[in-house]
Formats: sequence, structure tokens, C-alpha cells
Amino acid sequence: MESVSELLTEQEAAIYDRQIRIWGADAQRKLSKARILVVGITGVVAETCKNIVLAGIGSLVLMDDSPMTFEASAANFLVPFDELEGQGNSIATVCASSLRDFNPMVQVSVEEGGISSKPDEFYDRFDAVIMGRSSLTLRTQVNEACRKRPHRVAFYSVDCRGTCGSLFVDLQRHSFTSKKAGDDKAAQQDISFPSLQEALNVPWSSFNKRTSKLLFALRIIDQFEVDVGRRPGQLSSQDLPDLISYRGKMCAIQKVPESFVPDNLLQKLASVGGTELPPVCAIIGGILGQELIKAMSCKGEPLKNFFFFDASDGKGIIECVVPSQMNDH
Amino acid sequence: MADQQQQPSSLPSSRTDDGSGMENRWRDIDRLLLRSGNLVGPGFEPGPELREALENDFRVLVIGAGGLGCELLKDLALSGFGHIDVIDMDTIDVSNLNRQFLFRIVVSFGSIRSSLSSKARAICGWKSCTAVGVDCRMQDVGKPKSEVAAARVMQRVKGVTVIPHFCKIEDKDIAFYKDFQIIVLGLDSLEARSYINSVICGFVEYEEDGSPDLSTIKPLVDGGTEGFKGHARVIIPGITPCFHCSLWLFPPQITFPLCTLAETPRSPAHCIEYAHLIQWGQDRIGEYFDADNPEHMKWIYDQALKRGEQFNISGITYSLTQGVVKNIVPAIASTNAVVAATCALETLKIATMCSTGMDIYMQYTGTEGIYLRTVPHDKDRNCIICSPGVPLEVDKSITLQKFIDTLLKDSRFKLKLSKPSVSYHGNNLYMQAPAVLEEMTRPNLQEQLLRLMGGETSDVLNINDRRLTGVLRVRVTFREGADTIDMDTAGT
Repeated sequence: MESVSELLTEQEAAIYDRQIRIWGADAQRKLSKARILVVGITGVVAETCKNIVLAGIGSLVLMDDSPMTFEASAANFLVPFDELEGQGNSIATVCASSLRDFNPMVQVSVEEGGISSKPDEFYDRFDAVIMGRSSLTLRTQVNEACRKRPHRVAFYSVDCRGTCGSLFVDLQRHSFTSKKAGDDKAAQQDISFPSLQEALNVPWSSFNKRTSKLLFALRIIDQFEVDVGRRPGQLSSQDLPDLISYRGKMCAIQKVPESFVPDNLLQKLASVGGTELPPVCAIIGGILGQELIKAMSCKGEPLKNFFFFDASDGKGIIECVVPSQMNDH
Repeated sequence: MADQQQQPSSLPSSRTDDGSGMENRWRDIDRLLLRSGNLVGPGFEPGPELREALENDFRVLVIGAGGLGCELLKDLALSGFGHIDVIDMDTIDVSNLNRQFLFRIVVSFGSIRSSLSSKARAICGWKSCTAVGVDCRMQDVGKPKSEVAAARVMQRVKGVTVIPHFCKIEDKDIAFYKDFQIIVLGLDSLEARSYINSVICGFVEYEEDGSPDLSTIKPLVDGGTEGFKGHARVIIPGITPCFHCSLWLFPPQITFPLCTLAETPRSPAHCIEYAHLIQWGQDRIGEYFDADNPEHMKWIYDQALKRGEQFNISGITYSLTQGVVKNIVPAIASTNAVVAATCALETLKIATMCSTGMDIYMQYTGTEGIYLRTVPHDKDRNCIICSPGVPLEVDKSITLQKFIDTLLKDSRFKLKLSKPSVSYHGNNLYMQAPAVLEEMTRPNLQEQLLRLMGGETSDVLNINDRRLTGVLRVRVTFREGADTIDMDTAGT
């Protein structure tokens, strides 16, 4: 009589058959051991969670104490409509319940409290952390905390605003196998990533003209939100004049002309504030989901290190932002 | 809520008008639909009527309720479309569950029994299973995909109506497709795409100058995925290339030459296909091969292994055998998410003109990093499916009968025609059926085509045939034949 663990694998083999044919049973096993933490559940984060839960990660911990509201549910498919009526549940609790339905084989749980109050050892429980919408200060703080841990904690941050979406990846030092076109066997490669702070410190004047404007526009908005003490995603068209003069200051510091960041891009981002478009969330959530799967299974070249998307023209752009003294891979 | 009425720019009430603060539910979509900008499409008028139109006036058809279909239904419902139909001929299989998230695998816990067999616990086998469950059920396996998907989406997104159709696309009357303004495809075969493309292109009517009558156009948004790769594109029949014009975009489908299978196999797939396509017929004469029969599949696997040993080819596994024989397409959730969402975005743009549309084809590759690129294409003016008139030069003296014979011999149309009927500006020149019409129009066969067309030296004829799904439009141009006499110059 087969052991329970063998039968478990048979169960997984049946459900995961179609993806095992792509990345192999070994990668699937690695994935099933992955422990993921998600902080701040917006629509794009919900999409990402769906994708990684369906793929069969080991465990997922959700952190978001904000109360459930209709607005939060607009771009979030994990929230059943009827459960919104004053039950006092947090977003994390409601989403966790839906995610368990998607794949009962994944351990989904909720962690209460804010991430900034967690001790350093908290991060040892995880192999990857995904930050949803959050202040730039908090993102750099969590990224630094991840980098201090003895075992590698991968770091991702993601945000969608209107038709735009952005992604940042920090896998520290990462080894992966990938098959180059024309080769018979997969080869092992090593790649290293700068921290978020290191990437932020790269001077704008060193970027070439073709760099995605979204990179600078979002940086301005991030920094503006921090400096004037606004919650991320709360901007509106009324902030545009202040945002424009802030751009002037930042461009002067960075020694680049103001035309680096077009007016209409800032206007578009300011006017949407923090609203999310469901299809844009699904696209970015699909890409982030796949990035996480690659990192946890060590198979396939990861995105390094920023990704920008604008649904207005359908273009997705990867920007590699590394300090010049880093050995570029 | 009284104060909502006093705000001049208040958002219109949403589907359930119970004043419970639901207005904010559509805040995200409204941002797109209530403002102008420099990227909007031509004729875009921001306003709350747009969202109401999405909710009430639009009917979208989603073809396929699988990997792409589930994602499409979610994205379209959340984007504000109120009336969605979905058609799919399949039932749910356990291998769908890694990505088709509208279908569930659920453990329901029966009453706790004092003694449990370890086998029952093992069958349950959930890692997180701490309760003592005896009644494990794969909830949705075996049910029709379209019906389960429709029910789940309506459960999750209040106010949307999703109507399922559990059948093949060919089973529907062509008129069925006329009810929808936009059709979105989440298909897994070239044949199905080709079919629906022909139907939609057949609806288009053209003016004299070859331009399409806009009111007869139904846009098609087509998505496809395979493993890490996928594409999304927009087909506006009559304007962009149709599926047929751009068939070359699809990679060649893998087939192995018989001589390779028989004489010089090199790969595990060759061994497997040899057993499947050649040995089965020889050794199990008269027996129909059933890919879902484990004994049949095991037989193929055993034979393939032996052949592999014979030719020193390794790597033949049972899983690979299934994959090759059933032509299994590997699939993951994230690729489907990206492609379906791109299609949903384009559908939203087409319906509301709220942004510039994709021009016209997007390729996504998730393997080495990410590759997301949009490419414009031009349509093939001589495409037999969507062209306003495929050119054909004929003799001035030609009769209708000879013209039909010419059509049947033309290499471009041969495979598409068997018994063509010909009409000109709505008049039936020759109808193959019904018998009454055939008899009536039969005398025309001996008439000069030029005369039947009122002397027009170049004009479009519509050809219908039971082999054609749509209509074949042929632009006939009459040229001077060697045996015609120019009456004006005769005798000089």
C-alpha cells in the first residue's frame, strides 16, 4: 500500500500536470516548499496571489488590516460581494478565505499588525516578500530588512495606477538554470541584484534617452508622497501644480531637464490617484506571478530589475537600473 | 442617500441602487470613462452614459471557458460589461484546475467517524487537512465548463448576467453571432478560429469603392497561449488583417514525416508516434484507439519503449506518451492571465473608445525575462475570406457556366468550393439550391456574364457555397478576348 506522501504527489501530479510539463517535477517540488509573505492587498496583489496559489506554492501569509470596502473590491476578484456588509473583516481575512478555495493544498493564513513593527526575525519565515502599494520609505525599510537575513529573502514591490503598472525585483544573489536557444542542455547562471536603495541612488543623468518615462514619473510621485506626508495613491488632479514644481526640484537635483518627465504623464498619474483597472492588474499580476515562480524554482532568467507597463500603448518595458560599480550581469 | 443628488459630478448609481455606497464600486472604470485626454479614440465622449452602455447595451460573446475563458469572464465582468455570453463544448477535467480558477476542487468533510481507514485519509491527502474527513469530492470535475464558469462569475460579481452555451461553435446558427457587438476568443485551435473568422468576415458588406459598411463590422479580439508564450490581437474585419490573411503568423504545427517515423526515428516523440500511428493499426487490427483508455495508452507506451531501446533513444516516459498522443498543450495560469487581460482591455477600448486601440498584435513571451511587443500589420487585399473583391480576370465573352468552371479550377478557391452559387448586387444569377430557384436561374448559365452584370467591365460578384462559412467576394474584370471582334473597327 502506497504511503500517504506518495499519494499526495499523485494528487498534485494530476492537478499540476499541465505545468509540470513546462517546468518539470523538480521545479514543482521546489515551488511547493516556497513560503511567501504579501503585504498590502490591492487588486494587482490579489491577482498575483491567485496565480501563485493556483501554481501550488507551499504557503502564503497575507498582511492587510484595512477594513473591507466596496472600493477595495472593485478591482479585486477575491472578494465576494455579499461579504462586504459590515462584518468587520479585514481585507486579508476575506481574501485568504477565497484563496483557500482556489487551491486547498496551499496553506493560506493571515498575519495581523503592521509590517514596520515586526522584528527582524519575522522575515526568516519567508522565502519571498511582495509589497503592494506602500510608501517608498516602507518599501526600502522592508527591502533592507530582507537583505539582512541569513537565508535569501526575495523582495518584490508592485503597484498599479490607472492604465500604468510597475514592478521592482530584488533577488540579491540568484542562481538559475535556463536553456538558451540552440543549446541542448540547460546551463546554470548567476545573477546579482542591487537593493532598492542602491537602485534609487543611481543618478538620472546616467540613464539614456530611451529610458521609460514612467520610471521617473513614478519616482517623483513616490518621493512627493513621502515628503508631503500623503498616503500612497491619494493624489488627485488638485495636486498637479505642486507635483510639477516638485518635479522641477527633483530634476534640478538630478541635473536633468524638466522635459525628462512629460507634463501629461504626471497629469495622468495624478488624476487617477490610486484607482486600479482590473485588466491592468491581471496583466501585472500575471507577470509578477511568473517572476515569483521562476525565482522559487530557480528556473528561467528573472526580470532585472524594474518593469513598467502602460495599457494606453500596450508596451511593457524592462529597465535594468544598477549602480555603475556593480558587476553587471 | 440624499447628498449624492447634490453633487454635480456624482457618479451614477450602480447596478443595485440601494443607496448603500455602491456608487464607489465603479470608481476605477469611471476614471477612464468620465475624462477626456490626448490618448482617447476618435469620437470619444466622456460621460456616465458610457458605463451605462457597457452595463446595459453591450452584448459580448466569449468563446471558450478554459484557461483564457475564465480569466476573460472575470476581467470583463469587473470592467463593467453587464451582458456576457460564454460558449464551450468541454467538461471540466482535473488537469484544468491549475489555472482555470472558476472550477473548484473541494474537500467536503462528512461526519467524523471513530475509525478511519488510512486509505481514506490518504485519498484525502490534503497537506492542510487536519479534520477527519471521509467524504472527498472533486466538486466540479465532469460538469460543463460554460455552465460552472457562468455561475461562479455571477456569484462573485454582482449584477452581471452571464449566459452559458454548452455546445460547439458550429452548432449555433450563424444568426446567433449577429446578436453580439464584440466577440472575444479564448480558443485552442486554428480550425475554430478560422471558422469564427469566416462567419464574422461574412457579415461585412462593402461599398462600391471597396470600403466596408461600418455598421456591418463586428470586431474580434483573439487571444492564444501555449506554455510561456501568448498573443493577443484585434481583428476588425474589412479594416485590419483577418485571421486568414495572417495565418502565416502561427508557427507550423508539428507533424512528423512518415518515413522518419518508419525508418529513422531520432526522438522519443518519433517512437511514440510510430506506435500510435503505425503499430496500432498493424497489431490491433480493427480496434479503435481511445486516448482516454489507460490500457490503450499503456500499450502505446510499452511499444514506444521497445522501439526506443531498438534505436537507442532514451527519455520515453508515460507522461510524454500521453502528451504526444493527446497533443497536450502545456499551460500555466500567469500566461493566461496576461493574455486574457490584454484582450479584455482591448474589448473595453473598442466598446468605449476610451483609449487608443492596440495596433494590432501583441506577442508575450515569459521565458527569458519578459517580451511584450505590439506590431502593426497590413491586411492582405487578396485574402479570400475578408477581401472586398479577390481579383479575377475573365474573357468578355465568357458565359456564367464557364465562369463557374473557372472558379472551380482556380487554385485559390478550389478547396473552398464545390457547388458555388453566384449573385450580383443582391440578384441571384445562379442558385444551386433550393431546386425551385435552381430551375429558375438555370437559363442564366448560358448567358454572357458581362450582359448579366449590366455591361459593367469590373464589379464584384458574391459567391456562396456550402463549403464556405462566409461569402467569397470576387472582383471580375473583363478583358478583350482573342476571338472577340471590335465592331467599330471591323472592316477597316
